[in-house]
Amino acid sequence: MIVKCVVWDLDNTLLSGVYLESGAQPPRPDPALVAAAAQLRDRGIIHAIASRNPPEAAQYAARVTGLDFAAAECGWDRKSDAVRRIAADLGLSPDAVAFVDDDPYERAEVSFAVPEALVLSPEDMADAVGWPEFSPAVVTAEARRRGEMYAERRRREQEARTFAGSRDEFLRYCGTRVTIGRATGADVPRLHELSVRTHQFNTSGQPVAEPELRRLVGSAEHLVTTVRLSDRFGDDGLVGGCVTRAGPDGIWTVTLLMMSCRAMGRGVIEALLAWLAGTAARGGATALAVPCLVSPRNVPLRLALTAAGFRADPGASSGQRHAVFSRPLSGLLPEVPDWVTSSVASGVTEP
Amino acid sequence: MSGGGAPGVIGELREILARATGQEELLDLSEQAPLFGDGVGLDSLTGTLLLREVHRRFGVDVAAEDLNLDALATLATLATYITERAAAGPAPGS
Repeated sequence: MIVKCVVWDLDNTLLSGVYLESGAQPPRPDPALVAAAAQLRDRGIIHAIASRNPPEAAQYAARVTGLDFAAAECGWDRKSDAVRRIAADLGLSPDAVAFVDDDPYERAEVSFAVPEALVLSPEDMADAVGWPEFSPAVVTAEARRRGEMYAERRRREQEARTFAGSRDEFLRYCGTRVTIGRATGADVPRLHELSVRTHQFNTSGQPVAEPELRRLVGSAEHLVTTVRLSDRFGDDGLVGGCVTRAGPDGIWTVTLLMMSCRAMGRGVIEALLAWLAGTAARGGATALAVPCLVSPRNVPLRLALTAAGFRADPGASSGQRHAVFSRPLSGLLPEVPDWVTSSVASGVTEP
Repeated sequence: MSGGGAPGVIGELREILARATGQEELLDLSEQAPLFGDGVGLDSLTGTLLLREVHRRFGVDVAAEDLNLDALATLATLATYITERAAAGPAPGS
């Protein structure tokens, strides 16, 4: 049975300490478990809380972990009741629920009263993210490899911690390769998945249906670009994409830009923006515009745009939901690193 | 007044940047050095770590108010921004 929801205990599980015993400074989240939870979230698995704490503890946990919790049961009654209520609230059968708690007594109680649920200790979770129960049926190669990519990422981050040079030097040491290409029909399912799953690097915040993506791939007026990433630790596959349209006014507009947060910190979004600026300039464009949803979730995208010299249209304020970020294509353009290769031969045909 | 940021804030920002980037030499970063581009080379990852830590330590959510992230131009501009916002009162929810 595929797990659709993970119900987390807080004290000494998702949090590295006991919430009510920690005084002014509540316990930090457990980084390994939060990473595991984020991994499961990226597979479409949702999270919930069952904790012997006041409701503030759940709000605190949501804030410090950055996770969205679909349900939170905070109180002092039996955890098995909390698990059953959560399953009912979310319209899930109890056998689609996993329960994670550091306390053997609580695990035994839930195992006894909700035998259908998968009951795990925090120590189990590191492995459990690779189990079939946490691997929903998926269509894309990237999704199938998610467990492996997670292991690859752990190895990469371990080496990064002990690496003495700059981040650029580390990316070179890793043999980072970013490959930019023109999308084909075969890329459409993964592009759709990216449009659904990406948030930190997504300009629209809206899923794009496969037929619409197929239309854009076939459109002479649009350039649909794919970005693939690999290094010596592993192949992350298709991690990003964008849709570009050339306007008659000499302005190229990126109508959609998205990238997996797995590629964050690996120079990919920076490479893509630099490549777009260079390609648009060579195509005769005078400016590159990126209309963008402004949300707390895609701040990383705004940072990348700012670093690449983009500015929001004058008069825009951070209070509004949308802004057009643009940059002129004269003068010094951001540099495309030499480990970026592009197989996009021609630009966009002007309408 | 040089920039208007309290010296303590500048020092904390240097620590945050050094930790976020893993570059110890940023502990001596000039207040006027650009954070984006050559020099610090702030990017989406290190910038996110910086903003998160600024929010946590000072209660100032730069990204929520500063659309173009102009506050991140230099250490001096960021320290000024933080000092002014912190003086205006704690951010809601912090």
